[in-house]
Amino acid sequence: MQIQQCAQCGFSSIIKKYRCPQCSGRQFEERKISSKGIVHSYTVIHIAPAEFAHLAPYTVALIQLDDVNLKLTARMASETAIGDAAELVRIEDGAFIYEKC
Amino acid sequence: MTNVYIEGIGMTKFGKFAEKSMKQLLLEASIEALEDAGNPKVDAVFVGNFMGGSLSNQEILGAIAANELGLGRVSAAKVEGACASGGIALRQGIMGILSGEFDTVLVAGVEKMKHASTADVTQAINAAMDTDSNEKHAGLTFPGFFGVLANRYFYETEATKEHLAMIALKNREHAMRNPLAQFQKPASIEEIMEARIITSPLGLFDCSPTTDGAAAVVITRKKTAVHIRSSAQSSGPTQMQEADDLLSLPAVQESGRLAYERAGAAPEDIDVVEIHDCFTMTEMLAIEELGFFKKREGWLAVAQGRTKAGGDKPVNTSGGLLSRGHPIGATGIAQIYHLVRQLRGNAPNQVEGARLALAQNLGGTGSYSAVHILERV
Repeated sequence: MQIQQCAQCGFSSIIKKYRCPQCSGRQFEERKISSKGIVHSYTVIHIAPAEFAHLAPYTVALIQLDDVNLKLTARMASETAIGDAAELVRIEDGAFIYEKC
Repeated sequence: MTNVYIEGIGMTKFGKFAEKSMKQLLLEASIEALEDAGNPKVDAVFVGNFMGGSLSNQEILGAIAANELGLGRVSAAKVEGACASGGIALRQGIMGILSGEFDTVLVAGVEKMKHASTADVTQAINAAMDTDSNEKHAGLTFPGFFGVLANRYFYETEATKEHLAMIALKNREHAMRNPLAQFQKPASIEEIMEARIITSPLGLFDCSPTTDGAAAVVITRKKTAVHIRSSAQSSGPTQMQEADDLLSLPAVQESGRLAYERAGAAPEDIDVVEIHDCFTMTEMLAIEELGFFKKREGWLAVAQGRTKAGGDKPVNTSGGLLSRGHPIGATGIAQIYHLVRQLRGNAPNQVEGARLALAQNLGGTGSYSAVHILERV
C-alpha cells in the first residue's frame, strides 16, 4: 500500500497533508510500504450512522503498521483482538479493509 | 487572570421537549440569566450551537437572541465548536470583554435533538469528525472512537468495564439530586453493565444521551461574587490515527495546563469539577489529563470513590453529560451554570466551602477543548 511522505523532512502520514506539520513543506511523495501491522485497539460498532447501518455490527480497528511508525484506521473483515497481526485485503469506497493474517 | 465576572445564570430543564422550539429554549434560559443579573445593558451575544442547521434548519441564533430579547443593534454570533460550542462561545465573550470592546455579554448555548431519529443524530454528530478521510470511510463513529480508546485502556491497565460503570453510576446518583437533570431514575451497576452494547465495550449507560435544552450566563467587567479566573482553549488531532498516544487527549491536557498557569492554580487547588463526560471513557481520560490523578491511574481513583460528591475531587456533581444530559451546544454553559451554583453555595450535591471550580468542555474526538477556572470572591 501507499503512504505519503514529506519530500523535505520525511514526515509520514496515511493521507496527504496540505502542509507538513513538522517542516511546513508542501511537497509530498508516495511511498510504498507493507500493509502488515498489529491491531492496537478496536471496537465493534452496533449503532451506526444511516450510511453504515446496513453493515452493523462491524469492527473498526486501529492498526500499528510494521514498516513505519504510523497508525491506520481500518474496517476489519473478521473478528479481532488487540495484538492480532493483520493485513490489507482491499480498499472499498475509500476504506481500508483489513483481515487477520 | 481575567477581569471578567459572572453576573447571572439561567438554564432550562434538560430532557425531551417536543412542544418547545429551539428558539423558545434559547430565550427561556437567556431571560432567566438576564433577570438573575438584574437586566443589565448587554453589548454582545454569543450562542453556542452545533446542529441547529442540520437538525432544525435554523441558524442566525445570535441575531434571533438579540432581537427577541430586545437587546438592540448589538454584535451577535453563533459559535460552532462541535460539543465544545458552549465553552468556546463563553471564551469569545470573555475575550470581547478583555479586549475592551464590550462591558457585558450574554453567552447562551442551545440544542434541540430529541425530534430526530438516532440514525440521523449519529450522522449529524459525525460532522464533528474529519469526513474527508479513510477513517470516516471505514465507518468509525464518534462513540466508536471512545470504544477503541476504552479497549486499549483495559489492555494497558487493570481497569475493566466495571470501572466505567462506576463512573456512569456516580453521575446518575448526582443527577438524581439535580432537578434540572434529564435522568433522575436510579440505576444499578448490574443494569449498567448488562445494558445493550452501542460500540464495544461501551453500552447504553456509557454514552451521553440526546437532549433538548439550553443554558445562559451574563458576564461582565463589573465585580461580582464569581470571578472567571482563567480561560483557555486548545486544539488536538481530528483523526484517531494521528494520535501519538491513543490514551491521551492532548487538547485537554494543554488547555488545562494553560488554564492552571493563567489562574495561578494547580490541580490540587480545585474544589469541584465539571468534566466533559460524553462517554464514561472520556471522563476517565480527562481526570488524568487535567492532572487530578496520574496517567493510567484514573480508574483507581474512580474505584476508591474519590470523584464522588463526597470524595476529595468531586467530578460532575450536576450529573455530567451522561445523566444531566447533553444538548450539545448548551453543555459548556450548563457546566458553568452548575459551578456558579456550587460557588454561590446553593447547588445540588453542594461541595461545602467550594472556592475554586474548573469546567472542561470537549469538542470532536479530542479536537477542541476549552477550560475555565472560576473563583468565589
